[in-house]
Amino acid sequence: MHPKERRSAATRREFLARTGGAAFALSGASGLLAACSNSTTTAGSTVNSAGQAVGPGGLPLARPDRRVTLPLWEQPIPSGMKPETGGEFTIFNYPEYIYGALLKEFGKKYNVTVKVTPFDDINTGVAKLASGAVQPDVTEMTPDNLDRVVAGHLIKPLNLDYIPNLKKNVWPSLVDPFYDVGSRYGVPYTAYATGIAWRTDQVKEDIPSMSNPWDIFWQAQAYKGKTALLSEVRETIAMALLRKGELDINTEDPAKINQAVADLQELYNICNIKVGDLQYSTIPEDKAWLNQAWSGDMMSAFFYYLPNKATGPLLRFWHPVKGKGPIQNDMWSICTTTKKPVLAHLFLNFMLDNGVAYSNFVNFNGYQPPLNEIVPEDLVKKKVIPETLATCVLTESDLGPDSLQEMTLTTKGQSLWQDGYSTFLSGA
Amino acid sequence: MYPRWLWPAFAIPGVVWLLILFLLPFYAVIGVAFGNIDPILQTPIPAWNPINWNTGWVAHVLNELTPGGVYWDVFLRTIRYVALSLGGCILIGYPVAYYIARHASRTKSLLLILLVLPFWISYLMRMLAWINLLAPGGYAARFLSFTHISDLLYHMGLLSQPNNYLGGESFTVIFALIYGYIPYFILPLYASLDRIDRSHLEAARDLGASPFRAFWHVTLPLSKTGLLGGAVLIVLPMFGDYYTPNIVSGAPTTSMIGNQIDLYFHGGPQPTIGAAITIILSAFLVVLMGYYMWTIHKSSKELVA
Amino acid sequence: MSQAVATPAATKEFTLWQRVYGWITNPWGKPRFLVLITWGYMVWAIAPVLIAIQFSFNNSRSLTVWHGFTTKWYFSDPIDSIWHNASYRGALNQSMKLAAIDVLIATPIGVMLALGLARWRGRGSGASNFLMLFPLVTPEIVMGVSLLLLFTQLFTFVNTGTLAQVLGHVTFSISYVVVIVRGRLFSIGRSYEEAAADLGATPGAALWLVLMPLLLPAIVASAAIVFAISIDDFVISQWLSNGANSTTVPMLIYDATRATPLPSTDGLATVIMLITLITVVAGVAVFRLFTRGEGGRGSAVDDVAGFGM
Repeated sequence: MHPKERRSAATRREFLARTGGAAFALSGASGLLAACSNSTTTAGSTVNSAGQAVGPGGLPLARPDRRVTLPLWEQPIPSGMKPETGGEFTIFNYPEYIYGALLKEFGKKYNVTVKVTPFDDINTGVAKLASGAVQPDVTEMTPDNLDRVVAGHLIKPLNLDYIPNLKKNVWPSLVDPFYDVGSRYGVPYTAYATGIAWRTDQVKEDIPSMSNPWDIFWQAQAYKGKTALLSEVRETIAMALLRKGELDINTEDPAKINQAVADLQELYNICNIKVGDLQYSTIPEDKAWLNQAWSGDMMSAFFYYLPNKATGPLLRFWHPVKGKGPIQNDMWSICTTTKKPVLAHLFLNFMLDNGVAYSNFVNFNGYQPPLNEIVPEDLVKKKVIPETLATCVLTESDLGPDSLQEMTLTTKGQSLWQDGYSTFLSGA
Repeated sequence: MYPRWLWPAFAIPGVVWLLILFLLPFYAVIGVAFGNIDPILQTPIPAWNPINWNTGWVAHVLNELTPGGVYWDVFLRTIRYVALSLGGCILIGYPVAYYIARHASRTKSLLLILLVLPFWISYLMRMLAWINLLAPGGYAARFLSFTHISDLLYHMGLLSQPNNYLGGESFTVIFALIYGYIPYFILPLYASLDRIDRSHLEAARDLGASPFRAFWHVTLPLSKTGLLGGAVLIVLPMFGDYYTPNIVSGAPTTSMIGNQIDLYFHGGPQPTIGAAITIILSAFLVVLMGYYMWTIHKSSKELVA
Repeated sequence: MSQAVATPAATKEFTLWQRVYGWITNPWGKPRFLVLITWGYMVWAIAPVLIAIQFSFNNSRSLTVWHGFTTKWYFSDPIDSIWHNASYRGALNQSMKLAAIDVLIATPIGVMLALGLARWRGRGSGASNFLMLFPLVTPEIVMGVSLLLLFTQLFTFVNTGTLAQVLGHVTFSISYVVVIVRGRLFSIGRSYEEAAADLGATPGAALWLVLMPLLLPAIVASAAIVFAISIDDFVISQWLSNGANSTTVPMLIYDATRATPLPSTDGLATVIMLITLITVVAGVAVFRLFTRGEGGRGSAVDDVAGFGM
């Protein structure tokens, strides 16, 4: 499928946003619960026996400054085995989130038929894995869900001997990430920062030079009806926290969350703020002028959605310096249900190949892989993106122990955040 | 002539279908609204047996539906939008239905076809059409600007900015709701007006009633069932609307109660709240429906008497 | 307007405004303000759709400014034309499939239910009647939520996707069939069947050979209407969808409307509208063909207009 066709298909990001009309395939829940109670964790409570806060899976909450080593629930496969061939190889993923030509290439190399089974959103995906309704070989994963899927034994530990590209090509901080010390359960796929996107022909302020760029939303009177925030529980409230200098974007303090929501509510009168995740098309089409956005959005906008070439140089993206704004990444993991564990490892290695990852990025995906070889200056030099959008490309230096990432909350914390967003959405 | 069991037997497949796929689902919503959440998957664990009901979620939603609560303002806004849209539908729809039923002669067939036509055009296409008409540079936007109607609306306080209709305006949402739902209102109203026996009116006129008095004392009461039927057909579905404000506005300041249901079912650990809002909204609508039934029942008795 | 300019001599010295005013308020003719409102409403109701159709032929990406005529958004654009875009075609396919299956299931169930409800006088008939009316007024989000929870909590063997969508569509369609067919049943009355019985027909023959042919036009009309409301449905389809494989045209239009609709979005809506209109016109034509000579009242319009009463 040509990448531009994705314009009419719902994108991966949209799917993240409307976390699925169908997130409730529960049939496997009891099995998963049983699996968890067999392990030594205390599933469901918000603290473990040591008094640490834990996520829904009962494992300690990982933070960039609090590294978590996930327990090995089984031994990884031994090194030096031959890859399985023949038959089908199934990838469980967001729709339209991987370049089909690359999958054909992989299938040809190992004589398998590669199929993609799509899920609406990661919650649905986890529920389906737990129910056994799908039995894929590899799955897309996000760091904030690792706790649940490891506790539920839904993904297998990795033998990194099969994945040399991880150490060779990937940003060092993601070779050994804080959420999974030693990359025991997954390898990174894409990385993206949250920031502000705007059009220079409509927005007069020089946002990056403002003392607090997030303030732009609170002085957007002139852009009334043309200003929007991401319709994401976590991103929207985190932005209001960051604006006030509150860097703990995983806080579960009701007072802080309520204050952030109250700040967001000021935006009703200031600019009649809108919510939505469609900035990659509304900004180039002039339907919106100023938006909270992900770094991949303006690159997608430039790659696919430009109504005319003249708009390209008008697009801008800013994101906070390291440690002042969220940077997230997605991952690949191997499913417990795989019948081809060696080939599954080789697939993870394949996706981290410099050429493969680059092609996936610029030919289809728009979201960048966290590889050392992808450098903003190069992309500008090759005219893949204009110089004005170099800010959309992240580098290793954006990550690290003092970086921010929206991570797993306790169940109670998630409810607090959702209720806060509900208050904001009520528009009163 | 037919065996007694025949007609109930005919009804059985349909009744069973509706019991299983219309009524039983409400029980599924109740089970979820009074249930718990799976701690790991964050999916609902429904409570099917009322003994095990956890009333916390429903109590929470009811509490937030009181003045000062999170859902209070959005619910009031929903009622306001629905009421104003109904008012608009009556103001526009009644004269149209009345004219076609009573006065149109040569053009009646054509008017009827035009009246039914929007019924068969996708709601979303009709919304899409207005999005493009009202967008900057669109035909309607240019017309409203050229005729200064836009400025007038702005000075009347109906728009918060001149010439920006899609920037999150209540006015646009209500306009879109009227446009979207009015076909469903006009048709039953037309049918009831068309059914009125002209001899009633002639009698009133013969007895010396002015056209206005004849309308007020004869036509209007006789069209009451159609008016109420049309109102029920649009009011109840409108209470669950969330897509119209999403399409023509997208701002929290124009959200409706359906948007809250939508939010809680799209991820997060509280689909139970979504289910609780759904149940409470349904109960509210059943009360409205009951009022409608009662009124119809009463007026049909009056007509017989 | 012919009436307005019918008496030029007498009105010569009046201004245009006075003439228009006089025409509207003329107390002796038809209530002219009603004429204005009615035709104004018709223009308001129909013209936006006609303009949307016009822009599906626009020779640019714009949906607001006209740049000349093209059919490329239907056929030739390699990426965004309806013909070439796989997701457009997939959605059209899914919409048609749902509508066709819906008709095949909802029509027979609805016809039987109409017969049953119209003639069954006993315990449970009143409640069944009630039950049948409620889907007509239940907000779609309520039905969407409740069906979703039914399929994910109770009937977990039904996966979201096409099967769930079909079950949902049939559920909201049955009542429409009942209302239309029952209206026809009442207007037919029972005399034909009684006459047949007097002439010695068995109940089966009276039902099948006498009543069914008389009901046929209403059945055809209701099938057409079921097809139309199924193709038009957005909310139920969305709530019961499982992603890209069960996306329908209204879902695509909704996504595009909030992001950036293209002329091909208008084109897709136009195609769906044409399919619906052709189906409905065919249905009404069949209805008319069979009910000719029964007097003016038996039109499908009246049947449709009888919703909810």
